[in-house]
Amino acid sequence: MQLDVFNAFRDHALRNGVLFYFNGYFSHNVIGAMGDTLRHRLEAQGTKGAVTRRVFSTFIEMAQNILNYGVDAERPEQGGQMSLGAVAIGELGDQFYIICGNHIDQAHVDRVREKLEAIRSMSNDEIKQAYKQQLRSQDHEEDPISKGAGLGFLTVARDSSAPIEYTFIEDQGSPDKVGFYLKAII
Amino acid sequence: MQDLHIAASGTSPEVDFRFSSHRLALIGESYPENAAAFYGPVIEALREYLAQANGQRIEVHVELRYFNSSSTKVLFNIFDLLNSATGSNEVVLHWYHDEEDDTILEFGNDLHEDFPSINYIPMAIVA
Repeated sequence: MQLDVFNAFRDHALRNGVLFYFNGYFSHNVIGAMGDTLRHRLEAQGTKGAVTRRVFSTFIEMAQNILNYGVDAERPEQGGQMSLGAVAIGELGDQFYIICGNHIDQAHVDRVREKLEAIRSMSNDEIKQAYKQQLRSQDHEEDPISKGAGLGFLTVARDSSAPIEYTFIEDQGSPDKVGFYLKAII
Repeated sequence: MQDLHIAASGTSPEVDFRFSSHRLALIGESYPENAAAFYGPVIEALREYLAQANGQRIEVHVELRYFNSSSTKVLFNIFDLLNSATGSNEVVLHWYHDEEDDTILEFGNDLHEDFPSINYIPMAIVA
């Protein structure tokens, strides 16, 4: 990349309020380091504690989703997994946005869409109720695909001030995987 | 039985379970790479301790600044275990939360609703 192109790239990001952008391998250490930087940045600019926690929480849930479900990944049994993806955190007006993108398995698209559509149709109270119900449910342990508690998207929804946005983008080169993009507004 | 101490890391809390003095504390951050793997031995030790605890006043201090969704589920299971020990013990839960942030307080209140036999004491931390 030419230096002037890089400058244009940076200006463009700044004009869109981007505080932080990363594209590459997500590992547990990378997520921890980005999280620290993000928190420090938000605290330094005087963001309220509760807002900082919501932005941070959403970032961690999205980043750990990339790590756990991204298909462009290496997952050695001994830990130290890595997975390709991108994340951007920005500020527009008095709101923050967090966007992430990664490839997921084509076979999981319907399942993810179904979960997100259900959450998008819920009111804030319904999100809280669904969260509580999922917390108490033991069914999730039988789920062969999920690696967490089934609370990730609900946690993002709980911390968001608008319905979660998402899209799937087909990858022409490889029909077995699909680009998955998620956006939350805090 | 032996006390359990695990030092805090940037993404996992300090675990200070002093079974000998019936004081259990979790302090710090909780978003480990694998919550089930991190908390597995903690829950195992707690289960063993509770199996033999009888007529004790068990003081639990939870001072977590942040916990991710998979840690949330594990915490719920820990309180489920503690709740089942209230038949023969008194369990006191000191639940610390940022004064300005309702999310952790609300989660504590939900735990209280689900496990009313635990003596729940919310503790506001003034920033």
